[in-house]
Amino acid sequence: MIEINSLSKRYKLSKQQKRELGKESSITHIDAVKEISFTCKPGRVFTLLGPNGAGKTTTLRMIATMLKPTSGTIKVAGFDTVTDGEKVRRQLGFLTGGTGLYDRLTPHEMVKYHADLNDVDSTKFKANRDEIFARLGIEEYANRRIAKLSTGMKQKVSIARTIIHDPDVLVFDEPTAGLDVIASKGIIELIRTKRDEGKTIIFSTHIMSEVSLVSDDLAIIHQGELLYDGTYRNFESNMQEKSLADEFIRLVEGGRN
Amino acid sequence: MNTIMTIFKKELTDTLRDRRTLIIMFIIPFALLPVMFTVMAKIGASQVKKAQDKELKVAYFANANESHLKTMLEEAEGIKLIFDADADSVEAHIRTNKLDAAIIFAPNFSEKFNALKPGKISVFYQSTNDANITWSRLKKVIDQFEKDLLEQRFISLNLNKNTAKVLRLEQTDVATAQEKYGKMIGGFLPYIFILFCFMGSMYPAIDLAAGEKERGTIETLLSSPANRFQIIVGKFLVVVISGCTSAIATILGMLVATKIGDIPEEITNVLGALLEPKSVILVLSLLIPLTVFLAGILLSISIFAKSFKEAQSLITPGNILVILPAAIGMVPGITLNYGTALIPVLNVSLATKEILAGTLQYDVLIVVYISQIVLALLSLWFCSKWFEREEIIFRE
Repeated sequence: MIEINSLSKRYKLSKQQKRELGKESSITHIDAVKEISFTCKPGRVFTLLGPNGAGKTTTLRMIATMLKPTSGTIKVAGFDTVTDGEKVRRQLGFLTGGTGLYDRLTPHEMVKYHADLNDVDSTKFKANRDEIFARLGIEEYANRRIAKLSTGMKQKVSIARTIIHDPDVLVFDEPTAGLDVIASKGIIELIRTKRDEGKTIIFSTHIMSEVSLVSDDLAIIHQGELLYDGTYRNFESNMQEKSLADEFIRLVEGGRN
Repeated sequence: MNTIMTIFKKELTDTLRDRRTLIIMFIIPFALLPVMFTVMAKIGASQVKKAQDKELKVAYFANANESHLKTMLEEAEGIKLIFDADADSVEAHIRTNKLDAAIIFAPNFSEKFNALKPGKISVFYQSTNDANITWSRLKKVIDQFEKDLLEQRFISLNLNKNTAKVLRLEQTDVATAQEKYGKMIGGFLPYIFILFCFMGSMYPAIDLAAGEKERGTIETLLSSPANRFQIIVGKFLVVVISGCTSAIATILGMLVATKIGDIPEEITNVLGALLEPKSVILVLSLLIPLTVFLAGILLSISIFAKSFKEAQSLITPGNILVILPAAIGMVPGITLNYGTALIPVLNVSLATKEILAGTLQYDVLIVVYISQIVLALLSLWFCSKWFEREEIIFRE
């Protein structure tokens, strides 16, 4: 469960950003996220849809305790992200499209590192590792250096790394960015599997076709504000435009006016 | 503690698999001194030998009855006298290496000598060639010639040749070889140590912070249960170990340098003195806090940078801040005192110099330690605070 309540994040503008705005500008900060509230429930996929720069990554980084909220609260599995950061992180698996791996380690070492960071004991590690490696087909290259693997193989290692400690909450920040169709499908399948296992899943994207594939709940975020928060089914049945993309544009442009 | 060890072990494995880091951390510091000493000794020795073995072409101009020097020169090895040279063009010929030297007796040489006055001999040579060996070879013969003439003069005056000697000079240099050469190479070695400590820490520092950002692995690490302090300490330890490994590799390289011969014995002796366990421990005890201090600065810069390249371009000009004080330590006359003991890098450079020369004063050394430990702790503290700032880690 992720409970977000009146969450805001304000960034101070850097000197260079101020310079770019011009001398007359009196703007000193930017509100990346403004007073948003929503809840992600176990066994459901919560999709955070928004254009680039909408505040998706900032929100997810606050959930993962990497950034501190300016105001508002986030509770992950009942723990507050500010006061109980470490406990929150123990419940989390975090995957982004830009996630890299350590080229000089092997998939086995990479996954073991994350298991150790999460205090997974060796029996549980072995069982999880064997199951995940078999399912994703990593076994055959488990001891090869990651630098020598293909993009698809690396993506599988990233997935294995994210779920090795069997986290209850999974945060996916545009996980398919930069991946080909096959690798993207792997991610979508992972999301579905984890949902069926009863995990809480938050998934951010700006790709419309992915939304209909996995969403149970949907939030549309634009310029730091929520334009929609409800079930995907409800959203779909109330669409005024024919396609999801057009409906999304209608909402976003409406929000701008 | 477990988490710090997990991070430390992973970062160490990662670093040790980086060929570039290994070369800079271990191979270069290990090989530099032996290679440098050998090459310097070889080149020096071969140049001197060449100059000594070379046949000198010496134009000789004397008057009829002055043949004693001529005989002496002809008897000396490797000197060929030329009698038919043109006296006016000897200078030009020496410049163009057609001649190596010319010896010209003044026309009134015999008269002066007979009148108990000094007779003039002019010697032309070019000191820019062969480290002045031409001059020293000729001078040896001429000195003997002068002695012979002096003896001749004393005999003609019925005097004992020792009458002219009023002093019996006895020189005793109380400086030990360690002191003499210690101050000399002692200025240079700390510079090398400090430089390698810095270089050995630099690549891991860049790779473990800026590299982590560039690869996109930083978010994963930050979303793990490890807290920022544990992460930075784990990385810090690897950077410090890399820097210290470079220093140890330099010392090992020195050990090898003393074994390969061809190095002047005095230098071998001083290097040997440094390799006494006490000196090694003292030097390392200075280099470890220095590395901690440098690691904190390097990691802080590296965390700030968005990419490997940016970190490199930020750190490269910073080199000067380390190299300059280390180089100042090489300047003769700058010594370790309560003032210089407080200046980072310079204090290590000067204290190492004193250790090598065997003239270290322990009360000043304590000030060096205190200054170093305070700076090292400040540097670690700053680095860990810096790593907690989200605007630094997620700098746009």
